[in-house]
Amino acid sequence: MLFRLIVGITFVYASLDKIAHPDEFARAVYNYRILPGFLINIFAITLPWIEFFCGLFLILGLFIENASLLILFLSLVFALALSLNFLRGIDIACGCFTTDPNAKKVGAVHLTQDIILLLMSIQIFIYNRNFLSLQKLFQKK
Amino acid sequence: MSPKKSFLKILFQAALIVVFSLFIGVIYNTLSKEGISLKGSWSRKVLSDSLVVPYSYDKADPPAVTLTQAMTYFQTHSTVFLDARLEGDYKAGHIPKALNLPFEEFEQYYPKIEPLLSKDKDIITYCDGTECEASLFLARLLKERGFKNLKIFFGGWNEWNKAGLPVEKTL
Repeated sequence: MLFRLIVGITFVYASLDKIAHPDEFARAVYNYRILPGFLINIFAITLPWIEFFCGLFLILGLFIENASLLILFLSLVFALALSLNFLRGIDIACGCFTTDPNAKKVGAVHLTQDIILLLMSIQIFIYNRNFLSLQKLFQKK
Repeated sequence: MSPKKSFLKILFQAALIVVFSLFIGVIYNTLSKEGISLKGSWSRKVLSDSLVVPYSYDKADPPAVTLTQAMTYFQTHSTVFLDARLEGDYKAGHIPKALNLPFEEFEQYYPKIEPLLSKDKDIITYCDGTECEASLFLARLLKERGFKNLKIFFGGWNEWNKAGLPVEKTL
Protein backbone atom coordinates (compact mmCIF):
# COMPACT_ATOMS: atom_id res chain seq x y z
CA MET A 1 0.00 0.00 0.00
CA LEU A 2 2.77 2.41 0.91
CA PHE A 3 4.72 1.49 -2.22
CA ARG A 4 1.61 1.98 -4.28
CA LEU A 5 1.26 5.54 -3.00
CA ILE A 6 4.95 6.34 -3.45
CA VAL A 7 5.11 5.01 -7.00
CA GLY A 8 1.72 6.50 -7.87
CA ILE A 9 2.56 9.98 -6.62
CA THR A 10 6.00 9.86 -8.26
CA PHE A 11 4.50 9.02 -11.64
CA VAL A 12 1.68 11.54 -11.48
CA TYR A 13 4.13 14.21 -10.35
CA ALA A 14 6.61 13.29 -13.09
CA SER A 15 3.91 13.32 -15.73
CA LEU A 16 2.49 16.78 -14.99
CA ASP A 17 5.59 18.71 -15.99
CA LYS A 18 5.86 16.70 -19.20
CA ILE A 19 2.20 17.25 -20.04
CA ALA A 20 2.63 20.98 -19.48
CA HIS A 21 5.78 21.23 -21.60
CA PRO A 22 5.57 18.71 -24.45
CA ASP A 23 8.21 20.55 -26.47
CA GLU A 24 10.80 20.22 -23.72
CA PHE A 25 9.97 16.58 -23.20
CA ALA A 26 10.19 15.90 -26.92
CA ARG A 27 13.66 17.46 -26.90
CA ALA A 28 14.61 15.22 -23.97
CA VAL A 29 13.39 12.18 -25.90
CA TYR A 30 15.35 13.32 -28.93
CA ASN A 31 18.44 13.65 -26.75
CA TYR A 32 18.33 9.96 -25.92
CA ARG A 33 19.07 9.28 -29.59
CA ILE A 34 17.07 6.08 -29.57
CA LEU A 35 13.73 6.71 -31.23
CA PRO A 36 13.57 7.58 -34.93
CA GLY A 37 12.60 11.20 -35.57
CA PHE A 38 9.05 10.62 -36.73
CA LEU A 39 8.12 8.75 -33.54
CA ILE A 40 9.51 11.30 -31.09
CA ASN A 41 6.60 13.71 -30.90
CA ILE A 42 3.85 11.13 -30.72
CA PHE A 43 5.83 9.35 -28.00
CA ALA A 44 6.30 12.62 -26.13
CA ILE A 45 2.57 13.29 -26.35
CA THR A 46 1.45 9.85 -25.20
CA LEU A 47 3.96 8.76 -22.58
CA PRO A 48 3.18 11.41 -19.94
CA TRP A 49 -0.48 10.42 -20.04
CA ILE A 50 0.36 6.75 -19.59
CA GLU A 51 2.41 7.77 -16.57
CA PHE A 52 -0.37 9.99 -15.31
CA PHE A 53 -3.10 7.35 -15.56
CA CYS A 54 -0.94 4.55 -14.18
CA GLY A 55 0.09 6.73 -11.26
CA LEU A 56 -3.49 7.80 -10.63
CA PHE A 57 -4.74 4.21 -10.78
CA LEU A 58 -2.12 3.13 -8.28
CA ILE A 59 -3.05 5.92 -5.88
CA LEU A 60 -6.77 5.16 -6.16
CA GLY A 61 -6.26 1.43 -6.20
CA LEU A 62 -7.91 0.80 -9.55
CA PHE A 63 -6.60 -1.63 -12.22
CA ILE A 64 -3.59 -2.17 -9.99
CA GLU A 65 -2.22 -5.16 -11.88
CA ASN A 66 -2.39 -3.38 -15.22
CA ALA A 67 -0.99 -0.12 -13.96
CA SER A 68 1.88 -1.71 -12.05
CA LEU A 69 2.71 -3.91 -15.03
CA LEU A 70 2.87 -0.86 -17.28
CA ILE A 71 4.98 1.04 -14.79
CA LEU A 72 7.24 -1.96 -14.47
CA PHE A 73 7.63 -2.01 -18.24
CA LEU A 74 8.23 1.76 -18.47
CA SER A 75 10.84 1.70 -15.72
CA LEU A 76 12.57 -1.18 -17.44
CA VAL A 77 12.65 0.64 -20.78
CA PHE A 78 13.93 3.77 -19.06
CA ALA A 79 16.65 1.79 -17.27
CA LEU A 80 17.71 0.20 -20.56
CA ALA A 81 17.71 3.55 -22.36
CA LEU A 82 19.80 5.15 -19.60
CA SER A 83 22.27 2.26 -19.51
CA LEU A 84 22.60 2.28 -23.28
CA ASN A 85 23.54 5.95 -23.34
CA PHE A 86 25.82 5.37 -20.38
CA LEU A 87 27.72 2.85 -22.48
CA ARG A 88 27.63 4.99 -25.60
CA GLY A 89 28.94 7.93 -23.57
CA ILE A 90 26.11 10.28 -24.50
CA ASP A 91 25.27 12.97 -21.97
CA ILE A 92 21.49 12.82 -22.01
CA ALA A 93 21.10 16.27 -20.54
CA CYS A 94 22.42 17.83 -23.73
CA GLY A 95 22.29 14.80 -25.98
CA CYS A 96 25.95 15.18 -26.75
CA PHE A 97 28.88 12.89 -26.24
CA THR A 98 30.82 13.59 -23.11
CA THR A 99 33.50 12.21 -20.91
CA ASP A 100 32.60 14.53 -18.08
CA PRO A 101 32.31 12.58 -14.81
CA ASN A 102 29.54 14.87 -13.53
CA ALA A 103 27.24 13.89 -16.37
CA LYS A 104 27.81 10.25 -15.48
CA LYS A 105 26.98 10.92 -11.85
CA VAL A 106 23.62 12.40 -12.85
CA GLY A 107 22.96 9.33 -14.97
CA ALA A 108 23.81 7.02 -12.08
CA VAL A 109 21.41 8.83 -9.75
CA HIS A 110 18.60 8.54 -12.31
CA LEU A 111 19.32 4.89 -12.82
CA THR A 112 19.23 4.17 -9.09
CA GLN A 113 15.93 6.02 -8.65
CA ASP A 114 14.49 4.16 -11.58
CA ILE A 115 15.57 0.78 -10.28
CA ILE A 116 13.99 1.53 -6.89
CA LEU A 117 10.72 2.37 -8.64
CA LEU A 118 11.07 -0.76 -10.72
CA LEU A 119 11.47 -2.97 -7.64
CA MET A 120 8.52 -1.30 -5.93
CA SER A 121 6.30 -1.87 -8.95
CA ILE A 122 7.30 -5.55 -9.00
CA GLN A 123 6.31 -5.79 -5.37
CA ILE A 124 2.98 -4.07 -6.10
CA PHE A 125 2.31 -6.35 -9.04
CA ILE A 126 2.88 -9.51 -7.03
CA TYR A 127 1.68 -8.77 -3.49
CA ASN A 128 -1.14 -7.23 -1.44
CA ARG A 129 -2.97 -5.86 -4.41
CA ASN A 130 -6.17 -4.98 -2.72
CA PHE A 131 -5.32 -3.37 0.57
CA LEU A 132 -7.25 -0.09 0.85
CA SER A 133 -8.14 0.05 -2.81
CA LEU A 134 -11.25 1.01 -4.76
CA GLN A 135 -10.79 -2.21 -6.67
CA LYS A 136 -11.57 -4.15 -3.51
CA LEU A 137 -14.83 -2.24 -3.08
CA PHE A 138 -15.92 -3.20 -6.57
CA GLN A 139 -15.06 -6.82 -6.02
CA LYS A 140 -17.18 -7.00 -2.90
CA LYS A 141 -20.32 -5.88 -4.71
CA MET B 1 -8.97 -18.85 -14.87
CA SER B 2 -5.50 -20.20 -15.55
CA PRO B 3 -2.60 -17.95 -14.50
CA LYS B 4 -1.46 -17.64 -18.10
CA LYS B 5 -4.85 -16.54 -19.29
CA SER B 6 -5.24 -14.00 -16.50
CA PHE B 7 -1.80 -12.59 -17.30
CA LEU B 8 -2.83 -12.17 -20.92
CA LYS B 9 -5.95 -10.40 -19.75
CA ILE B 10 -3.88 -8.03 -17.60
CA LEU B 11 -1.62 -7.41 -20.55
CA PHE B 12 -4.56 -6.68 -22.81
CA GLN B 13 -6.06 -4.25 -20.31
CA ALA B 14 -2.68 -2.58 -19.91
CA ALA B 15 -2.60 -2.12 -23.68
CA LEU B 16 -6.02 -0.49 -23.43
CA ILE B 17 -4.58 2.01 -20.92
CA VAL B 18 -1.87 2.80 -23.47
CA VAL B 19 -4.37 3.30 -26.27
CA PHE B 20 -6.52 5.42 -23.99
CA SER B 21 -3.48 7.55 -23.05
CA LEU B 22 -2.58 7.96 -26.72
CA PHE B 23 -6.12 9.13 -27.39
CA ILE B 24 -6.19 11.59 -24.47
CA GLY B 25 -2.67 12.75 -25.29
CA VAL B 26 -3.50 13.56 -28.89
CA ILE B 27 -6.73 15.33 -27.92
CA TYR B 28 -5.03 17.31 -25.17
CA ASN B 29 -2.19 18.20 -27.48
CA THR B 30 -4.59 19.45 -30.14
CA LEU B 31 -6.48 21.63 -27.67
CA SER B 32 -3.51 22.86 -25.68
CA LYS B 33 -1.71 26.10 -26.49
CA GLU B 34 1.59 24.37 -25.82
CA GLY B 35 0.75 21.62 -28.30
CA ILE B 36 3.39 20.29 -30.66
CA SER B 37 2.99 18.84 -34.12
CA LEU B 38 2.32 15.10 -34.14
CA LYS B 39 5.21 14.45 -36.40
CA GLY B 40 8.20 16.54 -35.48
CA SER B 41 11.15 17.46 -37.64
CA TRP B 42 14.10 16.18 -35.70
CA SER B 43 16.56 15.63 -38.47
CA ARG B 44 19.60 17.72 -39.17
CA LYS B 45 19.43 20.38 -41.84
CA VAL B 46 21.91 20.25 -44.66
CA LEU B 47 22.74 23.77 -45.81
CA SER B 48 25.46 22.67 -48.20
CA ASP B 49 27.91 19.79 -48.70
CA SER B 50 30.19 20.96 -45.95
CA LEU B 51 27.60 22.59 -43.73
CA VAL B 52 25.18 20.52 -41.66
CA VAL B 53 23.33 22.16 -38.79
CA PRO B 54 21.01 20.83 -36.03
CA TYR B 55 17.26 20.86 -36.61
CA SER B 56 16.85 23.74 -34.15
CA TYR B 57 19.06 26.12 -36.13
CA ASP B 58 17.13 29.13 -37.29
CA LYS B 59 17.75 31.77 -39.93
CA ALA B 60 17.87 34.44 -37.24
CA ASP B 61 20.74 32.66 -35.46
CA PRO B 62 24.38 33.69 -35.87
CA PRO B 63 25.89 32.34 -39.12
CA ALA B 64 27.27 28.82 -39.27
CA VAL B 65 30.81 28.28 -40.50
CA THR B 66 32.41 25.27 -42.19
CA LEU B 67 35.61 23.58 -41.09
CA THR B 68 37.58 25.46 -43.76
CA GLN B 69 36.15 28.77 -42.64
CA ALA B 70 36.83 27.91 -39.01
CA MET B 71 40.46 27.18 -39.93
CA THR B 72 40.78 30.55 -41.62
CA TYR B 73 39.39 32.27 -38.55
CA PHE B 74 41.74 30.21 -36.43
CA GLN B 75 44.68 31.70 -38.28
CA THR B 76 43.53 35.25 -37.65
CA HIS B 77 44.61 35.61 -34.10
CA SER B 78 41.88 38.01 -33.10
CA THR B 79 39.20 35.34 -33.34
CA VAL B 80 38.22 33.76 -30.03
CA PHE B 81 36.98 30.18 -30.01
CA LEU B 82 34.53 29.27 -27.27
CA ASP B 83 34.18 25.63 -26.28
CA ALA B 84 30.58 25.11 -25.11
CA ARG B 85 31.17 21.61 -23.74
CA LEU B 86 31.57 20.62 -20.11
CA GLU B 87 34.90 21.20 -18.43
CA GLY B 88 35.89 17.53 -18.46
CA ASP B 89 35.53 17.32 -22.23
CA TYR B 90 37.33 20.61 -22.70
CA LYS B 91 40.27 19.45 -20.64
CA ALA B 92 40.49 16.18 -22.54
CA GLY B 93 41.12 18.12 -25.73
CA HIS B 94 40.06 21.33 -27.44
CA ILE B 95 40.89 23.73 -30.26
CA PRO B 96 44.11 25.54 -29.24
CA LYS B 97 43.55 28.74 -27.24
CA ALA B 98 39.80 28.13 -27.10
CA LEU B 99 38.15 29.28 -23.88
CA ASN B 100 35.80 27.01 -22.00
CA LEU B 101 32.29 28.39 -21.50
CA PRO B 102 29.99 25.41 -20.95
CA PHE B 103 26.47 26.19 -22.05
CA GLU B 104 25.02 24.06 -19.28
CA GLU B 105 26.89 26.00 -16.59
CA PHE B 106 26.76 29.37 -18.31
CA GLU B 107 25.90 31.50 -15.28
CA GLN B 108 28.78 30.06 -13.32
CA TYR B 109 31.44 30.46 -16.03
CA TYR B 110 30.33 33.63 -17.80
CA PRO B 111 31.63 36.14 -15.19
CA LYS B 112 35.10 34.61 -15.50
CA ILE B 113 35.10 34.56 -19.30
CA GLU B 114 33.37 37.88 -20.00
CA PRO B 115 36.42 40.12 -19.31
CA LEU B 116 38.37 38.13 -21.90
CA LEU B 117 35.85 38.78 -24.67
CA SER B 118 35.27 41.79 -26.84
CA LYS B 119 31.79 42.45 -28.21
CA ASP B 120 33.06 43.56 -31.62
CA LYS B 121 35.61 40.85 -32.30
CA ASP B 122 34.90 37.55 -34.00
CA ILE B 123 33.78 34.80 -31.67
CA ILE B 124 33.20 31.23 -32.80
CA THR B 125 31.32 28.80 -30.60
CA TYR B 126 31.56 25.04 -31.00
CA CYS B 127 30.71 21.87 -29.12
CA ASP B 128 30.92 18.20 -29.90
CA GLY B 129 29.65 18.07 -33.44
CA THR B 130 26.54 18.51 -35.53
CA GLU B 131 24.49 16.44 -33.09
CA CYS B 132 24.97 18.84 -30.20
CA GLU B 133 23.28 22.16 -29.71
CA ALA B 134 25.38 23.63 -26.91
CA SER B 135 27.30 25.80 -29.41
CA LEU B 136 24.04 27.15 -30.84
CA PHE B 137 22.47 27.84 -27.44
CA LEU B 138 25.65 29.47 -26.20
CA ALA B 139 25.74 31.71 -29.28
CA ARG B 140 22.12 32.68 -28.64
CA LEU B 141 22.90 33.62 -25.03
CA LEU B 142 25.85 35.72 -26.12
CA LYS B 143 23.80 37.39 -28.83
CA GLU B 144 21.29 38.44 -26.16
CA ARG B 145 24.20 39.98 -24.26
CA GLY B 146 25.14 42.17 -27.16
CA PHE B 147 27.89 40.25 -28.93
CA LYS B 148 27.83 41.15 -32.59
CA ASN B 149 30.26 38.97 -34.51
CA LEU B 150 29.23 35.54 -33.42
CA LYS B 151 29.65 32.47 -35.56
CA ILE B 152 28.91 28.83 -34.92
CA PHE B 153 31.18 26.02 -35.99
CA PHE B 154 28.75 23.09 -35.98
CA GLY B 155 31.32 20.56 -37.14
CA GLY B 156 32.81 21.16 -33.72
CA TRP B 157 35.42 19.19 -31.90
CA ASN B 158 34.75 15.98 -33.83
CA GLU B 159 35.39 17.51 -37.24
CA TRP B 160 38.38 19.49 -36.03
CA ASN B 161 39.99 16.51 -34.34
CA LYS B 162 39.28 14.18 -37.25
CA ALA B 163 40.88 16.60 -39.70
CA GLY B 164 44.13 16.21 -37.75
CA LEU B 165 44.32 19.91 -36.90
CA PRO B 166 46.32 21.12 -33.90
CA VAL B 167 44.72 20.41 -30.55
CA GLU B 168 45.45 21.43 -27.01
CA LYS B 169 44.95 19.55 -23.76
CA THR B 170 44.72 20.85 -20.24
CA LEU B 171 46.33 18.61 -17.69
